[in-house]
Amino acid sequence: MSGTYQPPNTSSRDDIKEGNVIYYTCGDCAVRVPLEPSAPIRCQKCGARVLYKERTKRMVQFEAR
Amino acid sequence: MPHKPPTQEELERRKIVGINLETVTNVTATDFPGNYPGEDHSWDIEKFRQGFNVEIHQNDPYEASFSLIGCDASIANAFRRIMIADVPTLAIDQVFIYNNKSVIQDEVLASRLGLIPFTGGREGLRDFLKWRPKDGEPKDYDTVGLELNVKCEHNPDAGPNETDPTKLYKHAHVYAKDIVFHPQGRQVEYFSGENAIRPVNPDILIAKLRPGQEIDVKMHMIKGVGSNHAKFSPVATASYRILPVIQITQPILGRDAEKFAKCFPAGVIGLEKVTKAEAKQKGSGYEGHEGEPKAVVVAPERDTVSRECLRHAEFKDKVKLGRKRDHFIFLVESTGQIESEAIFLESVQHLKAKAKNLEKQLVNMVR
Amino acid sequence: MPSKSSKLREEDASSDVDMDEPTSHQPVIKDHDADMMEQDDEESQAGVDDYEEEEEPQRVKLLPGSTETAASFEFLDEGHTLGNALRYVIMKNPEVEFCAYAIPHPSEAKMNVRIQTFPGTTAIQALEKGLRDLQELCDVVTEKFTDASRAFAASA
Repeated sequence: MSGTYQPPNTSSRDDIKEGNVIYYTCGDCAVRVPLEPSAPIRCQKCGARVLYKERTKRMVQFEAR
Repeated sequence: MPHKPPTQEELERRKIVGINLETVTNVTATDFPGNYPGEDHSWDIEKFRQGFNVEIHQNDPYEASFSLIGCDASIANAFRRIMIADVPTLAIDQVFIYNNKSVIQDEVLASRLGLIPFTGGREGLRDFLKWRPKDGEPKDYDTVGLELNVKCEHNPDAGPNETDPTKLYKHAHVYAKDIVFHPQGRQVEYFSGENAIRPVNPDILIAKLRPGQEIDVKMHMIKGVGSNHAKFSPVATASYRILPVIQITQPILGRDAEKFAKCFPAGVIGLEKVTKAEAKQKGSGYEGHEGEPKAVVVAPERDTVSRECLRHAEFKDKVKLGRKRDHFIFLVESTGQIESEAIFLESVQHLKAKAKNLEKQLVNMVR
Repeated sequence: MPSKSSKLREEDASSDVDMDEPTSHQPVIKDHDADMMEQDDEESQAGVDDYEEEEEPQRVKLLPGSTETAASFEFLDEGHTLGNALRYVIMKNPEVEFCAYAIPHPSEAKMNVRIQTFPGTTAIQALEKGLRDLQELCDVVTEKFTDASRAFAASA
Protein backbone atom coordinates (compact mmCIF):
# COMPACT_ATOMS: atom_id res chain seq x y z
CA MET A 1 0.00 0.00 0.00
CA SER A 2 3.01 2.25 0.37
CA GLY A 3 3.09 5.08 -2.11
CA THR A 4 -0.63 5.28 -2.53
CA TYR A 5 -2.41 8.22 -1.01
CA GLN A 6 -4.35 7.46 2.13
CA PRO A 7 -7.06 9.95 2.98
CA PRO A 8 -6.73 11.07 6.60
CA ASN A 9 -9.09 9.17 8.81
CA THR A 10 -11.52 11.77 10.06
CA SER A 11 -14.36 9.47 11.05
CA SER A 12 -12.80 8.72 14.42
CA ARG A 13 -12.81 12.37 15.45
CA ASP A 14 -15.40 13.20 18.08
CA ASP A 15 -16.99 16.18 16.45
CA ILE A 16 -17.53 14.74 12.96
CA LYS A 17 -19.00 11.31 13.57
CA GLU A 18 -21.11 9.55 10.99
CA GLY A 19 -24.65 10.80 11.26
CA ASN A 20 -23.54 13.81 13.30
CA VAL A 21 -25.06 16.85 11.70
CA ILE A 22 -23.74 20.35 12.18
CA TYR A 23 -25.95 23.34 11.66
CA TYR A 24 -24.95 26.26 9.48
CA THR A 25 -26.76 29.44 8.60
CA CYS A 26 -27.43 30.19 4.97
CA GLY A 27 -25.81 33.41 3.83
CA ASP A 28 -28.64 34.11 1.43
CA CYS A 29 -31.91 33.12 3.11
CA ALA A 30 -30.72 32.86 6.75
CA VAL A 31 -32.31 29.44 7.19
CA ARG A 32 -30.61 26.89 9.49
CA VAL A 33 -29.04 24.21 7.29
CA PRO A 34 -28.13 20.81 8.81
CA LEU A 35 -25.12 19.32 7.06
CA GLU A 36 -23.53 15.88 7.35
CA PRO A 37 -19.77 15.61 6.99
CA SER A 38 -19.86 14.42 3.39
CA ALA A 39 -22.81 16.49 2.21
CA PRO A 40 -22.28 19.18 -0.44
CA ILE A 41 -21.93 22.62 1.02
CA ARG A 42 -25.18 24.04 -0.19
CA CYS A 43 -28.36 25.45 1.32
CA GLN A 44 -31.12 22.90 0.98
CA LYS A 45 -33.75 25.60 0.58
CA CYS A 46 -32.31 28.17 -1.81
CA GLY A 47 -29.17 26.47 -3.08
CA ALA A 48 -26.76 29.19 -1.98
CA ARG A 49 -23.21 28.00 -1.46
CA VAL A 50 -22.23 30.50 1.22
CA LEU A 51 -22.93 29.06 4.66
CA TYR A 52 -21.94 30.51 8.01
CA LYS A 53 -20.87 28.53 11.02
CA GLU A 54 -22.93 29.08 14.13
CA ARG A 55 -21.52 30.62 17.24
CA THR A 56 -19.92 28.26 19.75
CA LYS A 57 -22.19 27.05 22.53
CA ARG A 58 -19.27 27.20 24.90
CA MET A 59 -18.92 29.97 27.41
CA VAL A 60 -16.21 32.44 26.44
CA GLN A 61 -14.40 34.36 29.13
CA PHE A 62 -13.09 37.90 28.76
CA GLU A 63 -11.40 40.43 30.94
CA ALA A 64 -13.38 43.67 30.96
CA ARG A 65 -10.34 45.79 30.02
CA MET B 1 23.03 93.00 62.39
CA PRO B 2 19.96 91.83 64.28
CA HIS B 3 17.41 90.05 62.13
CA LYS B 4 14.09 91.72 61.52
CA PRO B 5 11.14 89.32 61.34
CA PRO B 6 9.36 89.51 58.00
CA THR B 7 6.28 91.72 57.80
CA GLN B 8 2.90 90.23 56.95
CA GLU B 9 3.17 91.98 53.60
CA GLU B 10 6.49 90.33 52.89
CA LEU B 11 5.09 86.90 53.82
CA GLU B 12 2.15 87.42 51.46
CA ARG B 13 4.48 88.56 48.69
CA ARG B 14 6.50 85.36 48.99
CA LYS B 15 3.38 83.33 48.29
CA ILE B 16 2.59 85.02 44.97
CA VAL B 17 3.83 83.52 41.73
CA GLY B 18 4.36 86.41 39.33
CA ILE B 19 2.78 86.11 35.90
CA ASN B 20 4.12 88.44 33.25
CA LEU B 21 3.40 88.79 29.56
CA GLU B 22 5.93 86.13 28.55
CA THR B 23 7.51 84.93 31.77
CA VAL B 24 6.76 83.66 35.26
CA THR B 25 8.68 84.57 38.41
CA ASN B 26 9.02 83.35 41.99
CA VAL B 27 7.80 79.89 41.05
CA THR B 28 9.14 77.62 43.81
CA ALA B 29 8.17 77.55 47.45
CA THR B 30 10.84 78.97 49.75
CA ASP B 31 9.40 78.11 53.17
CA PHE B 32 12.22 75.78 54.17
CA PRO B 33 14.68 76.08 57.08
CA GLY B 34 17.84 77.94 56.10
CA ASN B 35 16.28 79.86 53.23
CA TYR B 36 15.85 83.09 55.20
CA PRO B 37 18.49 83.77 57.85
CA GLY B 38 17.03 84.11 61.32
CA GLU B 39 13.64 82.73 60.33
CA ASP B 40 12.26 79.43 61.51
CA HIS B 41 10.56 77.41 58.81
CA SER B 42 10.92 73.99 60.43
CA TRP B 43 7.93 71.64 60.44
CA ASP B 44 5.59 72.40 63.30
CA ILE B 45 2.19 70.79 63.39
CA GLU B 46 0.69 73.61 65.45
CA LYS B 47 1.96 76.22 63.02
CA PHE B 48 0.54 74.16 60.18
CA ARG B 49 -2.80 73.88 61.95
CA GLN B 50 -2.95 77.67 62.33
CA GLY B 51 -1.96 78.41 58.75
CA PHE B 52 -4.07 75.70 57.12
CA ASN B 53 -7.67 76.29 56.17
CA VAL B 54 -10.38 74.58 54.17
CA GLU B 55 -13.17 76.44 52.38
CA ILE B 56 -16.01 74.50 50.81
CA HIS B 57 -17.64 76.05 47.75
CA GLN B 58 -19.88 73.24 46.63
CA ASN B 59 -20.61 69.87 48.18
CA ASP B 60 -22.88 67.74 46.01
CA PRO B 61 -22.70 63.95 45.95
CA TYR B 62 -21.26 63.86 42.46
CA GLU B 63 -19.45 67.19 42.39
CA ALA B 64 -17.55 68.98 45.11
CA SER B 65 -15.39 72.07 45.01
CA PHE B 66 -13.26 73.26 47.90
CA SER B 67 -10.07 75.18 48.62
CA LEU B 68 -7.10 73.92 50.57
CA ILE B 69 -5.32 77.05 51.79
CA GLY B 70 -1.90 77.06 53.37
CA CYS B 71 -0.38 73.80 52.22
CA ASP B 72 2.39 72.94 49.81
CA ALA B 73 1.79 71.84 46.23
CA SER B 74 3.40 68.47 46.98
CA ILE B 75 0.69 67.73 49.55
CA ALA B 76 -2.22 68.95 47.42
CA ASN B 77 -0.88 67.01 44.48
CA ALA B 78 -0.56 63.83 46.55
CA PHE B 79 -4.26 64.05 47.44
CA ARG B 80 -5.20 64.65 43.81
CA ARG B 81 -3.12 61.73 42.59
CA ILE B 82 -4.51 59.41 45.26
CA MET B 83 -8.11 60.35 44.42
CA ILE B 84 -7.52 59.42 40.77
CA ALA B 85 -5.35 56.33 41.11
CA ASP B 86 -5.42 54.85 44.61
CA VAL B 87 -8.93 55.05 46.07
CA PRO B 88 -10.47 51.61 45.44
CA THR B 89 -13.84 51.01 43.80
CA LEU B 90 -15.85 48.03 42.61
CA ALA B 91 -16.08 47.37 38.86
CA ILE B 92 -16.79 44.54 36.46
CA ASP B 93 -13.59 42.66 35.78
CA GLN B 94 -14.47 39.27 34.33
CA VAL B 95 -17.17 38.71 31.73
CA PHE B 96 -18.41 35.20 30.99
CA ILE B 97 -20.21 35.26 27.68
CA TYR B 98 -22.66 32.41 27.24
CA ASN B 99 -24.26 33.92 24.17
CA ASN B 100 -23.84 37.14 22.25
CA LYS B 101 -25.70 37.44 18.99
CA SER B 102 -25.52 41.23 18.91
CA VAL B 103 -23.36 43.13 16.44
CA ILE B 104 -21.09 44.18 19.30
CA GLN B 105 -18.06 41.88 19.39
CA ASP B 106 -17.51 39.89 22.58
CA GLU B 107 -14.37 41.76 23.63
CA VAL B 108 -15.92 45.16 22.90
CA LEU B 109 -19.01 44.19 24.90
CA ALA B 110 -16.80 43.09 27.79
CA SER B 111 -14.88 46.35 27.68
CA ARG B 112 -18.11 48.39 27.63
CA LEU B 113 -19.50 46.49 30.59
CA GLY B 114 -16.29 47.12 32.55
CA LEU B 115 -16.61 50.87 32.16
CA ILE B 116 -20.14 51.14 33.60
CA PRO B 117 -20.01 52.77 37.04
CA PHE B 118 -21.89 50.90 39.76
CA THR B 119 -22.78 51.82 43.29
CA GLY B 120 -24.15 50.13 46.38
CA GLY B 121 -24.11 50.20 50.16
CA ARG B 122 -21.08 52.20 51.29
CA GLU B 123 -20.35 50.01 54.30
CA GLY B 124 -20.41 46.87 52.20
CA LEU B 125 -18.20 48.35 49.51
CA ARG B 126 -15.69 49.83 51.92
CA ASP B 127 -15.49 47.32 54.76
CA PHE B 128 -17.09 44.01 53.78
CA LEU B 129 -15.53 43.65 50.34
CA LYS B 130 -11.84 42.76 50.35
CA TRP B 131 -9.22 42.57 47.64
CA ARG B 132 -9.51 39.49 45.51
CA PRO B 133 -6.25 37.51 45.76
CA LYS B 134 -4.50 36.95 42.42
CA ASP B 135 -5.04 33.19 42.33
CA GLY B 136 -8.04 32.89 44.61
CA GLU B 137 -11.42 31.42 43.92
CA PRO B 138 -14.27 33.92 43.98
CA LYS B 139 -15.69 34.34 47.48
CA ASP B 140 -18.73 36.26 48.69
CA TYR B 141 -16.45 38.84 50.35
CA ASP B 142 -14.33 39.58 47.29
CA THR B 143 -16.50 39.03 44.22
CA VAL B 144 -19.89 40.39 43.23
CA GLY B 145 -21.88 38.48 40.63
CA LEU B 146 -24.02 40.17 37.98
CA GLU B 147 -26.04 38.85 35.08
CA LEU B 148 -27.29 40.35 31.86
CA ASN B 149 -29.78 38.28 29.92
CA VAL B 150 -31.81 39.98 27.20
CA LYS B 151 -33.46 38.74 24.06
CA CYS B 152 -34.89 40.95 21.34
CA GLU B 153 -38.28 40.01 19.88
CA HIS B 154 -40.91 41.50 17.64
CA ASN B 155 -43.53 43.51 19.46
CA PRO B 156 -46.95 42.21 18.38
CA ASP B 157 -48.65 45.37 19.67
CA ALA B 158 -46.67 47.70 17.41
CA GLY B 159 -48.67 49.69 14.87
CA PRO B 160 -48.38 48.80 11.15
CA ASN B 161 -46.64 52.08 10.30
CA GLU B 162 -44.31 52.10 13.28
CA THR B 163 -40.69 52.88 12.41
CA ASP B 164 -39.18 53.36 15.86
CA PRO B 165 -37.16 50.22 16.65
CA THR B 166 -37.74 50.61 20.38
CA LYS B 167 -41.50 50.32 19.77
CA LEU B 168 -41.29 47.85 16.92
CA TYR B 169 -39.26 45.37 18.98
CA LYS B 170 -38.98 44.39 22.59
CA HIS B 171 -35.52 44.95 24.08
CA ALA B 172 -34.16 46.69 21.00
CA HIS B 173 -31.92 48.68 23.34
CA VAL B 174 -29.94 47.05 26.13
CA TYR B 175 -29.39 49.43 29.05
CA ALA B 176 -27.31 49.31 32.20
CA LYS B 177 -30.55 48.88 34.18
CA ASP B 178 -31.03 45.45 32.54
CA ILE B 179 -28.05 44.13 34.52
CA VAL B 180 -29.25 42.02 37.45
CA PHE B 181 -27.34 41.69 40.71
CA HIS B 182 -27.27 38.29 42.41
CA PRO B 183 -26.13 38.58 46.03
CA GLN B 184 -24.05 35.65 47.26
CA GLY B 185 -23.66 34.50 50.86
CA ARG B 186 -23.34 37.40 53.26
CA GLN B 187 -23.72 39.99 50.49
CA VAL B 188 -27.47 39.90 51.28
CA GLU B 189 -26.74 41.61 54.61
CA TYR B 190 -24.81 44.47 53.02
CA PHE B 191 -26.38 44.89 49.60
CA SER B 192 -30.15 44.70 50.01
CA GLY B 193 -32.88 47.22 49.27
CA GLU B 194 -31.46 50.68 48.69
CA ASN B 195 -27.95 49.30 49.26
CA ALA B 196 -28.17 46.89 46.33
CA ILE B 197 -25.38 46.92 43.78
CA ARG B 198 -26.80 48.87 40.83
CA PRO B 199 -25.61 51.05 37.96
CA VAL B 200 -25.26 54.73 38.90
CA ASN B 201 -26.77 55.75 35.57
CA PRO B 202 -29.47 53.23 34.62
CA ASP B 203 -29.82 54.60 31.09
CA ILE B 204 -26.33 53.85 29.79
CA LEU B 205 -26.79 52.14 26.41
CA ILE B 206 -24.80 48.90 26.23
CA ALA B 207 -25.92 47.48 22.88
CA LYS B 208 -28.69 47.60 20.29
CA LEU B 209 -30.44 44.39 19.25
CA ARG B 210 -32.77 43.24 16.48
CA PRO B 211 -35.32 40.39 16.70
CA GLY B 212 -33.60 37.02 17.12
CA GLN B 213 -30.51 38.54 18.71
CA GLU B 214 -29.71 38.03 22.35
CA ILE B 215 -27.07 38.71 24.94
CA ASP B 216 -26.49 36.31 27.82
CA VAL B 217 -23.55 37.10 30.07
CA LYS B 218 -22.47 36.72 33.66
CA MET B 219 -20.05 39.14 35.23
CA HIS B 220 -17.74 39.21 38.21
CA MET B 221 -16.99 42.52 39.89
CA ILE B 222 -13.89 43.00 42.00
CA LYS B 223 -12.31 45.81 43.97
CA GLY B 224 -9.52 47.58 42.14
CA VAL B 225 -7.64 50.87 41.86
CA GLY B 226 -7.37 53.47 39.12
CA SER B 227 -3.65 52.85 38.65
CA ASN B 228 -4.57 49.35 37.47
CA HIS B 229 -7.37 50.41 35.12
CA ALA B 230 -9.26 53.69 34.71
CA LYS B 231 -12.60 51.89 35.22
CA PHE B 232 -11.66 51.57 38.90
CA SER B 233 -11.09 55.31 39.35
CA PRO B 234 -13.75 56.80 41.66
CA VAL B 235 -13.53 60.17 39.93
CA ALA B 236 -14.27 61.45 36.47
CA THR B 237 -11.88 64.29 37.19
CA ALA B 238 -10.09 65.38 40.33
CA SER B 239 -8.12 68.52 39.69
CA TYR B 240 -7.00 71.73 41.31
CA ARG B 241 -6.33 75.27 40.10
CA ILE B 242 -4.11 77.70 41.93
CA LEU B 243 -5.98 80.86 42.99
CA PRO B 244 -5.35 83.69 40.52
CA VAL B 245 -4.36 87.09 41.93
CA ILE B 246 -5.12 90.33 40.12
CA GLN B 247 -3.60 93.49 41.57
CA ILE B 248 -4.63 96.84 40.13
CA THR B 249 -1.69 99.08 41.02
CA GLN B 250 -2.89 102.31 39.38
CA PRO B 251 -6.47 103.46 38.74
CA ILE B 252 -8.10 102.20 35.54
CA LEU B 253 -10.94 104.59 34.73
CA GLY B 254 -13.74 105.38 32.27
CA ARG B 255 -13.67 103.63 28.88
CA ASP B 256 -10.43 101.92 29.88
CA ALA B 257 -12.14 100.31 32.85
CA GLU B 258 -14.83 98.85 30.60
CA LYS B 259 -12.19 97.54 28.21
CA PHE B 260 -10.23 96.14 31.15
CA ALA B 261 -13.26 94.22 32.41
CA LYS B 262 -13.67 92.69 28.95
CA CYS B 263 -10.14 91.26 29.15
CA PHE B 264 -11.39 88.85 31.83
CA PRO B 265 -14.17 86.26 32.07
CA ALA B 266 -17.53 87.68 33.15
CA GLY B 267 -17.73 88.63 36.83
CA VAL B 268 -13.98 88.81 37.53
CA ILE B 269 -13.74 92.59 37.22
CA GLY B 270 -16.49 94.94 38.44
CA LEU B 271 -17.07 98.62 37.77
CA GLU B 272 -17.58 101.06 40.64
CA LYS B 273 -18.05 104.85 40.67
CA VAL B 274 -15.13 106.90 41.96
CA THR B 275 -16.30 108.41 45.26
CA LYS B 276 -15.99 112.02 46.37
CA ALA B 277 -13.47 111.09 49.05
CA GLU B 278 -11.26 109.26 46.57
CA ALA B 279 -11.37 112.16 44.12
CA LYS B 280 -10.28 114.57 46.85
CA GLN B 281 -7.23 112.50 47.80
CA LYS B 282 -4.05 114.00 46.36
CA GLY B 283 -1.77 111.63 44.44
CA SER B 284 -4.35 108.85 44.34
CA GLY B 285 -4.84 109.18 40.59
CA TYR B 286 -8.55 109.74 41.10
CA GLU B 287 -8.40 113.56 41.26
CA GLY B 288 -11.03 115.14 39.07
CA HIS B 289 -12.59 111.82 38.16
CA GLU B 290 -15.47 111.77 40.63
CA GLY B 291 -18.40 109.72 39.38
CA GLU B 292 -16.42 107.98 36.64
CA PRO B 293 -16.36 104.16 36.61
CA LYS B 294 -13.22 102.47 37.93
CA ALA B 295 -12.19 98.85 37.58
CA VAL B 296 -12.16 96.74 40.76
CA VAL B 297 -11.31 93.07 41.26
CA VAL B 298 -14.46 91.20 42.32
CA ALA B 299 -13.89 87.48 41.85
CA PRO B 300 -10.28 86.60 40.98
CA GLU B 301 -11.02 82.87 41.46
CA ARG B 302 -13.12 82.96 38.29
CA ASP B 303 -10.23 84.17 36.17
CA THR B 304 -8.60 81.81 33.70
CA VAL B 305 -5.33 83.80 33.71
CA SER B 306 -5.43 84.38 29.98
CA ARG B 307 -3.04 87.35 30.33
CA GLU B 308 -5.15 89.27 27.79
CA CYS B 309 -4.94 92.48 29.87
CA LEU B 310 -1.13 92.42 29.60
CA ARG B 311 -1.33 92.72 25.80
CA HIS B 312 -2.80 96.25 25.88
CA ALA B 313 -0.52 99.29 26.18
CA GLU B 314 -3.08 101.33 28.16
CA PHE B 315 -2.90 98.88 31.10
CA LYS B 316 0.90 98.85 31.16
CA ASP B 317 2.22 99.09 34.74
CA LYS B 318 -1.36 99.38 36.03
CA VAL B 319 -1.99 95.70 36.72
CA LYS B 320 -0.03 92.79 38.16
CA LEU B 321 -1.12 89.19 37.60
CA GLY B 322 -0.14 86.32 39.81
CA ARG B 323 -1.23 83.15 41.51
CA LYS B 324 -1.31 82.37 45.22
CA ARG B 325 1.03 79.42 45.54
CA ASP B 326 -0.57 77.82 48.60
CA HIS B 327 -4.25 78.18 47.63
CA PHE B 328 -5.60 75.15 45.75
CA ILE B 329 -9.13 75.18 44.37
CA PHE B 330 -10.07 71.51 44.02
CA LEU B 331 -12.81 70.17 41.81
CA VAL B 332 -13.77 66.55 42.48
CA GLU B 333 -16.30 64.94 40.16
CA SER B 334 -17.38 61.52 41.34
CA THR B 335 -18.42 58.75 38.97
CA GLY B 336 -21.09 57.87 41.52
CA GLN B 337 -19.85 54.94 43.59
CA ILE B 338 -18.43 57.12 46.37
CA GLU B 339 -19.57 60.64 47.20
CA SER B 340 -17.08 63.33 46.23
CA GLU B 341 -16.44 64.47 49.78
CA ALA B 342 -15.82 60.89 50.91
CA ILE B 343 -13.36 60.39 48.05
CA PHE B 344 -11.24 63.31 49.29
CA LEU B 345 -11.38 62.16 52.91
CA GLU B 346 -10.42 58.68 51.80
CA SER B 347 -7.45 60.08 49.88
CA VAL B 348 -6.21 61.78 53.06
CA GLN B 349 -6.61 58.54 54.99
CA HIS B 350 -4.80 56.71 52.21
CA LEU B 351 -1.77 59.02 52.41
CA LYS B 352 -1.69 58.60 56.15
CA ALA B 353 -1.91 54.81 55.87
CA LYS B 354 0.88 54.85 53.28
CA ALA B 355 3.16 56.81 55.62
CA LYS B 356 2.25 54.63 58.58
CA ASN B 357 2.92 51.46 56.65
CA LEU B 358 6.31 52.70 55.47
CA GLU B 359 7.24 53.78 58.98
CA LYS B 360 6.67 50.17 60.02
CA GLN B 361 8.70 48.99 57.05
CA LEU B 362 11.54 51.32 58.00
CA VAL B 363 11.64 50.00 61.55
CA ASN B 364 11.65 46.51 60.04
CA MET B 365 14.57 47.45 57.78
CA VAL B 366 16.72 48.76 60.64
CA ARG B 367 16.05 45.68 62.75
CA MET C 1 -27.66 31.22 48.21
CA PRO C 2 -27.08 29.40 44.93
CA SER C 3 -29.27 31.06 42.37
CA LYS C 4 -31.57 28.68 40.56
CA SER C 5 -31.19 30.24 37.16
CA SER C 6 -27.46 29.71 37.08
CA LYS C 7 -27.71 26.10 38.21
CA LEU C 8 -30.16 25.45 35.44
CA ARG C 9 -27.91 27.16 32.97
CA GLU C 10 -25.02 24.94 33.93
CA GLU C 11 -27.04 21.83 33.09
CA ASP C 12 -28.17 23.34 29.82
CA ALA C 13 -24.67 24.10 28.79
CA SER C 14 -23.28 20.70 29.67
CA SER C 15 -26.01 18.90 27.76
CA ASP C 16 -25.10 20.83 24.64
CA VAL C 17 -21.35 20.55 24.48
CA ASP C 18 -18.77 19.17 26.84
CA MET C 19 -17.72 22.01 29.11
CA ASP C 20 -14.29 20.81 30.05
CA GLU C 21 -12.60 24.18 30.09
CA PRO C 22 -13.89 27.62 29.28
CA THR C 23 -12.45 28.89 26.05
CA SER C 24 -10.72 32.16 26.58
CA HIS C 25 -9.34 34.70 24.19
CA GLN C 26 -7.33 36.42 26.83
CA PRO C 27 -4.89 35.22 29.43
CA VAL C 28 -6.79 34.16 32.52
CA ILE C 29 -5.18 34.17 35.92
CA LYS C 30 -6.77 30.91 36.89
CA ASP C 31 -9.42 28.76 35.30
CA HIS C 32 -12.70 29.27 36.99
CA ASP C 33 -16.15 29.92 35.71
CA ALA C 34 -18.97 31.96 37.01
CA ASP C 35 -20.66 29.06 38.75
CA MET C 36 -17.80 28.49 41.15
CA MET C 37 -19.16 31.31 43.25
CA GLU C 38 -22.26 29.31 44.02
CA GLN C 39 -21.23 27.62 47.20
CA ASP C 40 -22.59 26.85 50.61
CA ASP C 41 -23.24 29.79 52.85
CA GLU C 42 -21.37 28.19 55.71
CA GLU C 43 -18.31 27.66 53.62
CA SER C 44 -18.16 31.24 52.48
CA GLN C 45 -18.81 32.56 55.97
CA ALA C 46 -15.96 30.54 57.31
CA GLY C 47 -13.92 32.03 54.50
CA VAL C 48 -14.49 35.63 55.48
CA ASP C 49 -13.01 34.98 58.89
CA ASP C 50 -10.05 33.24 57.31
CA TYR C 51 -9.30 36.31 55.24
CA GLU C 52 -6.02 37.87 56.27
CA GLU C 53 -4.00 40.65 54.80
CA GLU C 54 -1.00 39.08 53.15
CA GLU C 55 2.32 39.49 54.90
CA GLU C 56 3.86 42.40 53.05
CA PRO C 57 7.31 42.04 51.54
CA GLN C 58 10.02 44.49 52.62
CA ARG C 59 9.54 47.57 50.46
CA VAL C 60 12.17 49.93 51.87
CA LYS C 61 15.85 49.30 51.25
CA LEU C 62 19.02 51.18 52.18
CA LEU C 63 21.10 51.58 49.03
CA PRO C 64 24.83 50.73 49.09
CA GLY C 65 27.25 53.57 49.75
CA SER C 66 25.11 55.04 52.49
CA THR C 67 26.56 56.45 55.69
CA GLU C 68 24.88 57.47 58.95
CA THR C 69 24.21 61.02 57.87
CA ALA C 70 23.99 60.60 54.12
CA ALA C 71 21.81 57.80 52.83
CA SER C 72 19.77 56.79 49.81
CA PHE C 73 16.63 54.74 50.27
CA GLU C 74 14.84 52.68 47.68
CA PHE C 75 11.05 52.35 47.96
CA LEU C 76 9.30 49.64 45.96
CA ASP C 77 5.82 50.34 44.54
CA GLU C 78 5.89 54.02 45.40
CA GLY C 79 5.88 57.00 43.05
CA HIS C 80 5.53 60.75 42.87
CA THR C 81 2.48 60.65 45.16
CA LEU C 82 4.47 59.76 48.25
CA GLY C 83 7.90 60.80 46.92
CA ASN C 84 7.19 64.50 46.54
CA ALA C 85 5.09 64.81 49.71
CA LEU C 86 7.76 63.01 51.73
CA ARG C 87 10.50 65.14 50.20
CA TYR C 88 8.60 68.26 51.29
CA VAL C 89 8.19 67.28 54.96
CA ILE C 90 11.76 66.01 55.21
CA MET C 91 13.05 69.29 53.77
CA LYS C 92 11.08 71.08 56.50
CA ASN C 93 13.35 69.39 59.07
CA PRO C 94 16.10 71.88 60.08
CA GLU C 95 18.48 69.00 60.81
CA VAL C 96 18.35 67.98 57.17
CA GLU C 97 20.93 69.49 54.86
CA PHE C 98 19.59 67.97 51.65
CA CYS C 99 16.65 65.87 50.58
CA ALA C 100 15.50 64.84 47.12
CA TYR C 101 13.54 62.07 45.50
CA ALA C 102 13.81 60.46 42.09
CA ILE C 103 12.15 57.84 39.99
CA PRO C 104 15.20 56.45 38.18
CA HIS C 105 13.22 54.72 35.46
CA PRO C 106 9.53 55.17 34.66
CA SER C 107 8.95 51.50 33.87
CA GLU C 108 10.35 50.30 37.18
CA ALA C 109 8.04 50.78 40.18
CA LYS C 110 10.86 52.17 42.31
CA MET C 111 11.32 55.50 44.03
CA ASN C 112 14.59 56.68 45.55
CA VAL C 113 14.96 59.21 48.35
CA ARG C 114 18.30 60.81 49.16
CA ILE C 115 18.71 62.33 52.61
CA GLN C 116 21.78 64.14 53.94
CA THR C 117 21.65 65.43 57.50
CA PHE C 118 23.78 67.60 59.75
CA PRO C 119 25.87 65.65 62.32
CA GLY C 120 23.30 65.73 65.16
CA THR C 121 20.94 63.18 63.61
CA THR C 122 20.91 60.32 61.11
CA ALA C 123 19.30 59.96 57.73
CA ILE C 124 17.14 57.08 58.98
CA GLN C 125 15.86 59.22 61.86
CA ALA C 126 15.09 62.05 59.46
CA LEU C 127 13.10 59.69 57.23
CA GLU C 128 11.21 58.31 60.19
CA LYS C 129 10.37 61.81 61.40
CA GLY C 130 9.25 62.72 57.89
CA LEU C 131 6.84 59.78 57.77
CA ARG C 132 5.46 60.67 61.20
CA ASP C 133 5.04 64.35 60.29
CA LEU C 134 3.15 63.32 57.18
CA GLN C 135 0.71 61.31 59.28
CA GLU C 136 0.17 64.26 61.61
CA LEU C 137 -0.43 66.49 58.62
CA CYS C 138 -3.09 64.12 57.30
CA ASP C 139 -4.89 64.20 60.65
CA VAL C 140 -5.02 68.00 60.57
CA VAL C 141 -6.32 68.01 56.98
CA THR C 142 -9.06 65.51 57.88
CA GLU C 143 -10.01 67.51 60.97
CA LYS C 144 -10.13 70.85 59.15
CA PHE C 145 -12.02 69.38 56.20
CA THR C 146 -14.71 67.72 58.33
CA ASP C 147 -15.13 70.96 60.31
CA ALA C 148 -15.49 72.98 57.12
CA SER C 149 -17.89 70.42 55.68
CA ARG C 150 -20.06 70.51 58.78
CA ALA C 151 -20.10 74.31 58.78
CA PHE C 152 -20.98 74.31 55.08
CA ALA C 153 -23.86 71.88 55.64
CA ALA C 154 -25.13 74.02 58.52
CA SER C 155 -24.97 77.25 56.49
CA ALA C 156 -26.75 75.80 53.47
